[in-house]
Amino acid sequence: MTPARVLRWGAAALSVAIVGTLGWLWFDSRVPSTYSVMDMGYVDAGGGPVGGHVHGGAGGVSVATLTGPADAEPAVSLTLTARAETITLASGERVAGYTLNHASPGPEIRASVGDLVRVDLVNESVADGVALHWHGVRVPNAEDGVAGVTQDAVPPGGRHTYRFRVPDAGTYWYHSHQVSHEQVRGGLFGMLVVAPAEGPDVVAPVHTYDGRRTVRGGTGERRVEAPAGSAVRVRVVNTDNGPLRLAVGGSPYRLLAVDGHDLHGPTEVTGRGLAVAAGGRADLGIVVPASGGGAVRIDLGAGSSLVLGPPGAAAPAVAAPAATLDLLSYGAPAPVDLSTSPADRSFEMRIGRRPGFLDGRPGLWWTRNGRLFPDVPMYLVRQGDVVRMTISNDSGEVHPMHLHGHVALVLSRDGVPASGSPWWTDSLDVDDGETYVIAFRADNPGIWMDHCHNLPHAADGMVAHLAYEGYTTPYVVGGPARNAPE
Amino acid sequence: MRALYVWLSRLIALAVVLQVLFIAWSAFDIAKNAGDGIPFTEDTEQNIGQALHLYVGMMAMPVLALLFAIVSFFAKVRGGAALAWVTLGLVVLQIALAYASFAAPVVGMLHALNAFAIAAVAGVAGSRATKSGAAPAAPVASGGPGVPAGA
Repeated sequence: MTPARVLRWGAAALSVAIVGTLGWLWFDSRVPSTYSVMDMGYVDAGGGPVGGHVHGGAGGVSVATLTGPADAEPAVSLTLTARAETITLASGERVAGYTLNHASPGPEIRASVGDLVRVDLVNESVADGVALHWHGVRVPNAEDGVAGVTQDAVPPGGRHTYRFRVPDAGTYWYHSHQVSHEQVRGGLFGMLVVAPAEGPDVVAPVHTYDGRRTVRGGTGERRVEAPAGSAVRVRVVNTDNGPLRLAVGGSPYRLLAVDGHDLHGPTEVTGRGLAVAAGGRADLGIVVPASGGGAVRIDLGAGSSLVLGPPGAAAPAVAAPAATLDLLSYGAPAPVDLSTSPADRSFEMRIGRRPGFLDGRPGLWWTRNGRLFPDVPMYLVRQGDVVRMTISNDSGEVHPMHLHGHVALVLSRDGVPASGSPWWTDSLDVDDGETYVIAFRADNPGIWMDHCHNLPHAADGMVAHLAYEGYTTPYVVGGPARNAPE
Repeated sequence: MRALYVWLSRLIALAVVLQVLFIAWSAFDIAKNAGDGIPFTEDTEQNIGQALHLYVGMMAMPVLALLFAIVSFFAKVRGGAALAWVTLGLVVLQIALAYASFAAPVVGMLHALNAFAIAAVAGVAGSRATKSGAAPAAPVASGGPGVPAGA
């Protein structure tokens, strides 16, 4: 063959190889329209024992049996009716979205520790179906509200009853976990507050509707009356997808609780802002100045703020704080009921990003341990295990990691051990370049999602699961109910 | 094949121009909304300019550049394959620069600079194909008067 022919054939072969490789990668990346999360990805036992029946879904106890108390009388009972309709914000703007009982945020649910809560969810007009997840609450698995994992999405005209006891006091919220990246943004959520907590409190859900950031359902400055000298617990809930950076002006503040769990020995903070992870909660202890007639302003960014004080009291704008409060060293240490060395299982979640195909779409996609969705880890545990998880992020963006059904203790960040109050979390911002080690007790059997609460990231495959050995789910993603948890 | 090569080179250059238009639209839209009190956050839906820029940049451009690189083998343009593969390489670099820019926005200036490089290389390749009329194995039909190939 002449050199020219060799070149020609080489070029043809190279072209076929490139197109063939890309074609195969595209073909191989496609996700079936219906699948069980039990068949997804790979099992990671974290150095612990592996029993039979873990992957493939054959055998095992169905999570559908893991319901809350069926016969006891509920202390709190209500019906939530989901609709796709126009929302009128407290400040007057109208946006298209979703409501619960014609409101967004939906009704605020108040209960006391140990109460049995019963919620009848009725879907009147949400075409994709709905499911309600009780964010941060350690509910039994069948009540967790994840379409395709713990239940089927409730279709228009359908209903579903949730029954669960609330085991921990604190600030929680509920939101749809069906097509959640659209439905939560559209307003399908509400607050859940579990007493006791001393003194008056104000819930402050922060949400962005159609590009407008709101607090307590309204844009701009929202005022809540509080007498001079009074102490108020402000329950800030970040229902958005990005971190919420808040600043307090007019008085110092204490950070009383994070993700529903009280901090030990919270000290007064001045001149430092606070970052609340997406899905996370922060209870601020605010004392309205007793003299001077001023009010306290909590600046929530993007033009939104909450003002606490006597009627008409001046609340000057808050200067942007130079630094953010570091929870790793805030508050005072205290003993915890969790012995983490040695742990029964040690898991790793390395978050990265690489080019590839995700269900046939080319792009730069999030990876866990180097792998793309649907090749996601299924972390396998046994009931009673103490689990350590190392979460590192080298993806270029912050990720608010949310584990369902459990609350985890932060042990260290970048090798520096936690030195402040025990820091329990269910929604933890892991920033680019950071490595957190957290630990939790596997005490709530079932199949649990462990995902990024930047919900569009979850929709782009940033999910994993925590599975208890011997349990399986009869529900499927897709299927006749068109379940789409992310 | 040569005609296809020429058309692909033109489409790539055109796509670069469109990308500049889209991203300008997007930037002014963000500025206007900010003026109206709607800031741009993680929870802001992407505007049309952004969506088009993302679509063309992540889907149309890579496909065009890949086709261009493959077609270049068979288009019999002197130096055409090298130019086409440089174009493809610059498109890959462009995507890498875009994602690097999210972490370090100043890198975005290199993203813009590289866009002009893509348009220039594709343009040179196209004009070489139309003007030289020469294939490596074919007799050199000397280009017309005036601008030399590659100018």
